[in-house]
Amino acid sequence: MRARWLLPMGAGAAAVAQVAHAVQYLTVEQAQRAAFANAAAFVPVAVDIDTAAIGAPAGWKPLMWRVQGDAGALGWFFEDAVVGKSELITYTLALDASGKITDLEILDYRESHGGEVRLAAWRNQFKAKSATDPVALDRDIRNISGATLSCRHLTEGVHRLLQLYAHVLAAKP
Amino acid sequence: MKHRLLALAIAAWGASLAMPAHADDAALKAEVEALRAEVAELKAQVQQMHAVQVAPAAAAVAQAAPPAPAATPPAAPNPGRSMADAATGNATSLWGYGQLDYNRPTARAADARADLTRAVLGFNHEFNETTRVYGELEWEHAIASADDAGESEVEQLFVEHALSPNYGVRVGLMLVPIGLLNEHHEPTQFYGVERNFVEQAIIPSTWREGGVAGYGTTDSGFQWDLGVVTSPDLGKWDPTSLDGRESPLGSIHQELQLSKAHDLSIWARLNWLGVPGLNIGGAVFAGKIGQDTSKQFEGDANFPADNSRLLVGEAHVRWQSGPWDFTALYTRGSISDTQDLNLSFLGQPTPVPKSFWGGYAQGAWRALEWNQSSLVPFLRYEAFNTGAAYASLPQGFEIPALPTQRVWTAGVNYYLTPNVVFKFDYQDFRYDDPALNYGNRFDLGLGFQF
Repeated sequence: MRARWLLPMGAGAAAVAQVAHAVQYLTVEQAQRAAFANAAAFVPVAVDIDTAAIGAPAGWKPLMWRVQGDAGALGWFFEDAVVGKSELITYTLALDASGKITDLEILDYRESHGGEVRLAAWRNQFKAKSATDPVALDRDIRNISGATLSCRHLTEGVHRLLQLYAHVLAAKP
Repeated sequence: MKHRLLALAIAAWGASLAMPAHADDAALKAEVEALRAEVAELKAQVQQMHAVQVAPAAAAVAQAAPPAPAATPPAAPNPGRSMADAATGNATSLWGYGQLDYNRPTARAADARADLTRAVLGFNHEFNETTRVYGELEWEHAIASADDAGESEVEQLFVEHALSPNYGVRVGLMLVPIGLLNEHHEPTQFYGVERNFVEQAIIPSTWREGGVAGYGTTDSGFQWDLGVVTSPDLGKWDPTSLDGRESPLGSIHQELQLSKAHDLSIWARLNWLGVPGLNIGGAVFAGKIGQDTSKQFEGDANFPADNSRLLVGEAHVRWQSGPWDFTALYTRGSISDTQDLNLSFLGQPTPVPKSFWGGYAQGAWRALEWNQSSLVPFLRYEAFNTGAAYASLPQGFEIPALPTQRVWTAGVNYYLTPNVVFKFDYQDFRYDDPALNYGNRFDLGLGFQF
């Protein structure tokens, strides 16, 4: 009774599983639809960002959309990326017309560890937060043990987008 | 018989990965078709809107920048990294950490030591969107050569292939997913200058094995790992050295260094992360460790523990909320069929234990916080025993259990930034043993991570 054949078997199982599956991440369009099912239009917005004023790194340029419904503005939609430990995490954030978070989605997580930030339970902590909340790890956002860097950097990213909304977008018609 | 069970478990695991996919194939195809149609329709709409609305929208914004970059709707499903990588060829990233320590035993000041404990460089290279290689290279104690005390080692090196955003497979040299420290051992991640004793003496630190492993998370918050990997090698046990008393598994793990691979082990871990801030779970590592030493070409023909087995279990809970961080962990290991082996070791200082265990409870409190800095005092109590019991021997030769070591550690982590930490602590031991580095002491440390 030898166990050496277990290794090829494990690899075989993995190969079978790979053939059967294709990796599917949420696309930006799917994330937009998930956040605003009744949107009539996602209007791209381009503004010059005074990064120093909102504590963002120079050259920071998230993608932004103003979300319109049939009866007027529904809110805002952002796509941005932060570094987790060493790789970028692409995510989207949806705000309602009053600037409260309605949805946070992870589009792309490409790091070996820390992917637990994709768990809905963790992301749901951000719901209804706005620019007046701290939105800081270990204050109003709890950590995931073992995914600290991803949690911290995503929380900082969301905080930045809320400040961007409060300082730049909220005043816009 | 036990191998057959193992094989069944592995086969079942493989099947469970593959089967839902087959069942869903038809539904998936239909869904993809529907999505395609929807995307085409959306694209047309977006282009229409783009033409009609960008001009007024841009005009309405006072400091309007050229609308081109933001106004172009993302064409690829995953913009950001994948596109940036393709454009710049920047698919490789580096990371690292370092740890410098100063230890001063209060009763033996002559034994004070300053050490560059670890310098580590890690890399992550993406071959494509789903396949990457992850590596960690480490130097311990500053200089490694034939004449020096340091070590140079490959701590992790594995290829990871994501089968879905929720699960995947790794092949290579991996850290055993057990306990809270083994996989997350950067100095910014733990309290106190030194790693806790339980996760050094009972769960070796760091413990890695080579093999194949699956990993994943479920929407309900479960994090799972299952692997078939190399085993420790009981043939390595040195009864003349104290290494086995300091850490039984640490003295016989192989670290994929020409590892004896006749016997393999499995690991399994299940954590529940369904409530933010909570991590509750446990892990098991089990397998034969005798490696058929008596039949090896260069083995010991009289080795009496070919069929020896190892079983290690671990359970933990961690709760982080606001400024509080509480942890409790318990782990226990056993090694079977050690009776004859220990008879052959009679008269030597370090026999093989039948069981060993340890546990700790820790509380930390972020007392002060300003800008990016914070001050976090903590208190930890540990109890552990690397020789809690030995297999029974003929009367007169019984091996007495070792005394249980108990350690209080009180100290402060001062985070200059979340990734740079200065540490200070005092450790109080129940009993001194200079040979194992047990004895009341002050510790100072610096750690960083990038």
